[in-house]
Amino acid sequence: MSAVLQNLVNQPYRHGFVTDIESEIAPKGLNEETIRLISAKKNEPDWLLDFRLKAYQKWLTMSEPSWQNVHYPKIDFQEISYYAAPKPKKKLASMDEVDPELLRTFEKLGVPMHERAALAGVAVDVVFDSVSVATTYKEKLAELGIIFCSISEAVQKHPDLVREYIGAVVPVGDNFYAALNSAVFTDGSFCYIPKGIKCPMDLSTYFRINTEGSGQFERTLVIAEEGASVSYLEGCTAPQFDTNQLHAAVVELIAMDNADIKYSTVQNWYAGDENGIGGIYNFVTKRGLAKGVNSRISWTQVETGAAITWKYPSCILRGDNSVGEFYSVAVTNHHQQADTGTKMIHLGKNTRSTIISKGISAGKSNSSYRGLVRIAPTAENARNFSQCDSMLVGNQCGAHTFPYIQVRNHSAKVEHEASTSKIGEDQLFYFAQRGIDAEEAVSMIVNGFCKEVFQQLPMEFAVEATKLLSFKLEGSVG
Amino acid sequence: MNEIAKNDYLTCLLNSLSARREDNFLPESQQNEKLSWLKQLRAEAIDQAGQLKLPTTKDEEWRFTDISPLAKLPFKPARTSSTLELNDIQPFLIEEANNRLVFVDGYFAPDLSNILGKDQLIIGNLSSLTTHPVTEIKHHLGQHIQLKNNIFAALNTAFLQDGAFIVAPKNIAVSKPIHLLFIATQKETTNYPRILVVGKENSQMTLIEDYVALQDGAANGAYITNSVVELNLAANAQAQHIRIQRENTNAFHLANGAVSLDHASRYQAANITLGAQISRYNLDISFISEAAECVVHGLTMVANTQLADTHTSIDHLKPNCTSHQQHKCIADDSARAVFNGKIIVRPNAQRTNSSQSSRNLLLSGKAQIDTKPQLEIFADDVKCAHGATVGQLDNEEIFYLKSRGLPELVARNLLTYAFGAEVLDHIPVNSLKHKLEQTVLNQTQSS
Repeated sequence: MSAVLQNLVNQPYRHGFVTDIESEIAPKGLNEETIRLISAKKNEPDWLLDFRLKAYQKWLTMSEPSWQNVHYPKIDFQEISYYAAPKPKKKLASMDEVDPELLRTFEKLGVPMHERAALAGVAVDVVFDSVSVATTYKEKLAELGIIFCSISEAVQKHPDLVREYIGAVVPVGDNFYAALNSAVFTDGSFCYIPKGIKCPMDLSTYFRINTEGSGQFERTLVIAEEGASVSYLEGCTAPQFDTNQLHAAVVELIAMDNADIKYSTVQNWYAGDENGIGGIYNFVTKRGLAKGVNSRISWTQVETGAAITWKYPSCILRGDNSVGEFYSVAVTNHHQQADTGTKMIHLGKNTRSTIISKGISAGKSNSSYRGLVRIAPTAENARNFSQCDSMLVGNQCGAHTFPYIQVRNHSAKVEHEASTSKIGEDQLFYFAQRGIDAEEAVSMIVNGFCKEVFQQLPMEFAVEATKLLSFKLEGSVG
Repeated sequence: MNEIAKNDYLTCLLNSLSARREDNFLPESQQNEKLSWLKQLRAEAIDQAGQLKLPTTKDEEWRFTDISPLAKLPFKPARTSSTLELNDIQPFLIEEANNRLVFVDGYFAPDLSNILGKDQLIIGNLSSLTTHPVTEIKHHLGQHIQLKNNIFAALNTAFLQDGAFIVAPKNIAVSKPIHLLFIATQKETTNYPRILVVGKENSQMTLIEDYVALQDGAANGAYITNSVVELNLAANAQAQHIRIQRENTNAFHLANGAVSLDHASRYQAANITLGAQISRYNLDISFISEAAECVVHGLTMVANTQLADTHTSIDHLKPNCTSHQQHKCIADDSARAVFNGKIIVRPNAQRTNSSQSSRNLLLSGKAQIDTKPQLEIFADDVKCAHGATVGQLDNEEIFYLKSRGLPELVARNLLTYAFGAEVLDHIPVNSLKHKLEQTVLNQTQSS
């Protein structure tokens, strides 16, 4: 053994904890040092570090919320490592090396060939040049002045924009998990649509070039300037595995005058096995601010994965005549738990909101709809319509509805309706009569039940989501 | 500061309790061994109350109802000092109801009461009955109401002294309604009305629970009514329960009701809330056996700065039960109406059929409505639906009436009246129904 090596080994530890920005994974635990480390790693400006520290200080004063209708062992926040440099995944040489189980899933979902490769982690140039597709997209977007990149890149390249809008809709101290995210977020997406531009294609995290794994504490910021419009897709139907159990993301949307943002999510995180062991906790804060007149924010979500889903994509309708929409399908099976819904805060005149929520519970799962419709005294002629339907498959699951309606203006009109039903024996019998077996019949009934929501999804997503649902409920009947 | 006030109220109450724990509530003659269970019940409630705090708006169940004004006033338990005569209460009497129990400030007033149906009923107040059907009372009193986390029910039980006790015997249909009249006359006091109703197998009865205040004199000030009603229906029993809360507009009214329904029993309720500065009614209905049914109608009509809060919980513990609920609120001026309706369908409570609707009418720009119809379902073969609407009068309906030659104001009043009257239609006692319709009409016309 060489003396060089000997020398290296015997070197005193020079960096100390704070300056050790070479390491790949931050030590477990959360303190100011961790936050400084994350900030230093990412070469962030001082204002962002201040933002993080402020959030951390807030977080320290807050306690974990307990009002939600989900149960899980207490999370030890000091047992989590808050920073891991993205490691390039091992590339597979060809489709033949991909896990056959995964391929079968793709087949069932009908994922397009080239996407299958990208999703399975096959080096893309071997099968299909999606990089070039992505590059063409990027050039096209740049021509229009649209910025679509990771939030870390945006911090470096467009610091003024990020600084102006980050935390504008979800303040650092908004809630326990939002504060945690604000303190330690590592990456996410940033999207800016300039004045008067209609984004020519659906922006999807699929083809975002610079992310390798989205990270545990994701931060997304979408800004649509006056007259702009954008449709943003998040997630994908293919099952996603992750070693991090806790996911606490924050999404902020801002729509100026006449702007239009449509945000669609298909979430299929690992849900744990049939006995409820493992699975991801998906605790997300999503909120859109319809700031300008005639602006519109629309949330569509298909939640099928995660052991626990806990999120309320919300709309603050501040601009006069602004519109908020929420379309949701939440499917839970086995031991999954979902507590999801929305908040519609009407502040401006003539604001309108629509809520369509469909919950399907099977196995031993529990799903809850929790929603708030608040009509502020300033919201003249506000209008809301909510409908939340639940379907129960089996007699060991639960479905719950907690709608809060708070009206402070007498010109408002608020309607809420909810129903609970099950798949009827007679319905199944009718299908059987037509030669359709129980499994397929269930899938058809469920898809009919969710149709209103699926119609809101972009075309290819809708097709996949339909299949995803039947896939999820496989084996829950009969 | 608020905190101190709250402590004052509670400390004051608890002190007066412990002072009275020794001198015992009941007259000398009743001080026998047989009543030790009652003492124990009270003692347990006192302990329970001592462990609890007054709820604040930070408690989910009390989020929209701020009772801190109550805690600021020095309320003491009311004393017996009834000088009322039958003439004074004439306006409150109901002609159909020949059985009448009158309580003044929470104390039984035998001179004002009228007990006729002794052949049909066991009816009376605690002091007169404790010696007689003691097993019945012992079996049910304090057994249906939850004292845990319910400070007002605990306080009521702790101060338990007088109360209305009604037992409809087996196979008896009580033809005439039973009128329970609670009159408040003293200001800055707290009354503790208590009611226990037992419907035995195949019995039938109609009950009117009525809270009023004398219009003149001292009773115009603020006072607290803290009432508890326990109602138990055995197999195939039926009860119609009309509850009218028309306290004066300075009063605080805090009420708890617990209803348990046995096999194939039927409970029909109409809850009319008109009075009080701040009022709160918790109604918990439990289906303890199969095939029972309940129908609950509610009307809350508030104006000025009134706050009326109704919390109901219908618990389907067993299969094959049916529940229907409709609650309507009309809020005028800067009044607030709160409704929280919970329906729970427990595991295996299959073939439950349940519906709930919350309809709310806002008559003024400053009025507020908070409604939360809530479903918790753990069984799959069920039919559950709920709906809620909040709005103002429909312009097209007003237009229609105007096109028929009605002035705008009259059209509005008519529609408001019709909105409320739908609930009053479910009251089976005609004279009372007409009287209430008149009250609703007056209230709509004043606005």
